[in-house]
Amino acid sequence: MFSYFIRRFLGLLPVLFGVSLLVFTIPRVIGSDPARIMLGERASPESYQSLRLELGLDVPYFVNFAEARTRGLAGFLDAQYPHFVGRALRGDLGKSIFSRVPVVSSLEHFFPATFELTIVAMFFAVALGVPLGIVAALNRGTVLDTAVMFVALAGVSFPVFWLGIIMIYVFAVGLGWLPPSGRLSPTIVFHSTTGFYIFDAIVQGRWHVLWNAAKHLVLPGIALGTIPLAIIVRMTRSSMLEVLGQDYIRTARAKGVERRVVVNKHALRNALLPVITVIGLSFGQLLSGAILTETVFAWPGIGRFVYDAISSRDYPIIQGGVLFIATIFVIVNMLVDFSYAFIDPRIQYT
Amino acid sequence: MKRLAMLVAAVLLALTGLAGAQTLVYGESGLPVSLDLPQDGNSLTVQYQIAQPLVGFKPSSSELMPLLATSWEANADATQWTFHLRQGVKFTDGTPFNAEAVKFNFDRWNNRDNPYAFQDQKPMAAWTYIFAAFHGQKGYLLEKVEVLDDSTVRFDLTSPVGFFPALVASSYFGIQSPAAVKAGGADYGTPGVGAVGTGPFKFQEWVQGDHVTLVRNDGYWGDKAKVERIVFRGIESAATRLAELEAGTLDIAVNLSPDDLKAVESNPDLKRATATANLSIGYVGFHQANKPFDDVRVRQAVALAIDQKTIVDSFWSGLGTPAAEFIPPGLLGRANYEPYAYDPAKAKQLLADAGFPNGFKTEFWYMPVSRPYFPSPKDIAEAVAGYLSQVGIQAELRTEDWGIYLKDYDEGKFPMYMLGWSADYADPNNFIFTFFSPIEIKSGFGWTGTKADEVVKLLGDARQAASATERVTYYKQADKIIYDQVPAMPMVYPTTLNATRANIDGFLPNPLGTTSIQLNEVTKN
Repeated sequence: MFSYFIRRFLGLLPVLFGVSLLVFTIPRVIGSDPARIMLGERASPESYQSLRLELGLDVPYFVNFAEARTRGLAGFLDAQYPHFVGRALRGDLGKSIFSRVPVVSSLEHFFPATFELTIVAMFFAVALGVPLGIVAALNRGTVLDTAVMFVALAGVSFPVFWLGIIMIYVFAVGLGWLPPSGRLSPTIVFHSTTGFYIFDAIVQGRWHVLWNAAKHLVLPGIALGTIPLAIIVRMTRSSMLEVLGQDYIRTARAKGVERRVVVNKHALRNALLPVITVIGLSFGQLLSGAILTETVFAWPGIGRFVYDAISSRDYPIIQGGVLFIATIFVIVNMLVDFSYAFIDPRIQYT
Repeated sequence: MKRLAMLVAAVLLALTGLAGAQTLVYGESGLPVSLDLPQDGNSLTVQYQIAQPLVGFKPSSSELMPLLATSWEANADATQWTFHLRQGVKFTDGTPFNAEAVKFNFDRWNNRDNPYAFQDQKPMAAWTYIFAAFHGQKGYLLEKVEVLDDSTVRFDLTSPVGFFPALVASSYFGIQSPAAVKAGGADYGTPGVGAVGTGPFKFQEWVQGDHVTLVRNDGYWGDKAKVERIVFRGIESAATRLAELEAGTLDIAVNLSPDDLKAVESNPDLKRATATANLSIGYVGFHQANKPFDDVRVRQAVALAIDQKTIVDSFWSGLGTPAAEFIPPGLLGRANYEPYAYDPAKAKQLLADAGFPNGFKTEFWYMPVSRPYFPSPKDIAEAVAGYLSQVGIQAELRTEDWGIYLKDYDEGKFPMYMLGWSADYADPNNFIFTFFSPIEIKSGFGWTGTKADEVVKLLGDARQAASATERVTYYKQADKIIYDQVPAMPMVYPTTLNATRANIDGFLPNPLGTTSIQLNEVTKN
């Protein structure tokens, strides 16, 4: 089992290498560059060329033959991609072209915000989704079942952007129960050490801040959670139905075992395996940053951070940010796989 | 007993970190990108509160007034400009504001090899739009900055510029503390370091992606700020920005969508805060390397085929005026023409004369992103295409990634396209010369020939003319040629919609927008 873990970890390396290659090449291949964006409508051919030089955009991408002649191997590798990889291996993802802020520092800032939001969204999705799915499965064919499936369908169909604005207008502007956007009210002065406001507020004993941060998490958390909710409801329902149709369930009922026990002890645990897969994958997806939710709710997460960088061709952020997201996603997937061995004793990793 | 209770309440309030009514919350479309060498509107707006240029603007106006310089004069041929600096002013880090500080700032912007230029990390692209090029590069304007004495500084130019103070008033050129720049190094202007200037506010903190907090500079040389602090929030979604304003969690919201004008005006808790006019223009351009747009009759036909008034009314809801020339209202040199009338019959006639009695097919490119001058490009493009089809011009609507759009525009790939411009500084040169400079007239419009050469010469003369009246003569002559030849069809002079809560006073956008107004007179009642 241990060697399996090791092999899986090592398997990450080629994946990340491949990602780094893609994430470096694609923004450069699709055309345009940060110099063009910087100058905008004002670009004259001279100022554009001059900027390109300043920003080091004229340095060769992968290998540098010109420099190789004079400086050998060091010159050969004096190119953009080798620089990127060399620095990345040392934990330096470069600096934003537009702001000069180190990419790592920004990720440290934006990732906890996304993580916090993801936890809330997934909690909402699981806490509501699993019970709803079970209810639907147990009452298959009834009005209750249809109602639950309708909720699931709605969750997947409503555009998050639209839903978010509606929620803001109803609960924030109209009723005034919750704040419209952001992580914390602007009048509050709070220094977060970890980037996780809930955690830091508890540690610092600032209950007012805790309450405020929690209120800010409600609307975006629910908005973001509607899609995983829908998926989890459907998955739970169909998985439960499949398990409930099994022979051993019928046997248990025939034996006279109480329905509740049958459901909870025998059916549910077996039905949950696919659901856990879906939960894990959704979690990974949300951690990649929910751009639309973050935009509507002005949530300072990595989704919008990286997306904005793509539009402005801020190569270091695109490279570092996407590489980071890919790493998170791959690790989450790996953890989900590992969890199977603990949940289902039939699964053995060798 | 009552006093004790109040004291306890105040202490509790302070402990909970609330700032009370002394905090202004300002919502922009994003947080600053950088507080040093700023480029975008969000950065400029914040920087302007901290670091001030030498020259400022009168409230609500694009007319210049003294700021860090109290007066200025030029030599006979406008190649040397001497500025007299305000005395007794200090940066908020205690160091003195003087001629050396001014020289330090301009040198690091102008000279690529200056140790504090950090050009390889983040060049000051904005320098090139206003001063044409960096020192030593082709076409550069600023030769050097001379310190004459502690409070007098002289700018030596490579060619005459009659409107030099207007360039220096641009919000890009806020004077930063040399000591702070040196101490901060390449990190100066980033969230961890901030910026230091002489302005009515000073930098307190910047939580990345979340907010920037400025506090009142109690040592400010001018009118001290009426509010104690400003928190800038970056809210990309205009709908959310409006919602926040309506909920009362924002005091000021800028760059709202023109569609929201009704919502603002019908809400008694809000009030509109727009400038009298905005130095901004949206237009439909032609590149004459793509036939048949090399024929002036075809271009005129397009101008006549489009019902400009209806389009502007529909898409700008009263926040735009139809445009007829490349110098917007508020600047000198205008000829005050009327936009081309809506006359599809005449358009068809012209097309027939040009050899297209049944019209022709072409491509009409629109931008994929909302710009200040065209808030909803796709919808506007569809409307324009609709009018064109009525005279037989089948315009296929196309778009692409904004960065690539700009590149293809520059390379003359678009027969017909939408573009626009917002002022960098308050002078007609920033508009008409930008479009019709010797380089841009070819790359943007593909316009060559005697008429084009005439325009280039007139604008060059206007740029260098010493007196305003002389300049006006040149501009008016150029206006006429451009109006007749239609290298591009001006569409609109848009006004940006900003709004505040009803209890906010003193927020006065000027024609340049909200990036060069100080917030020290804003009160929250």
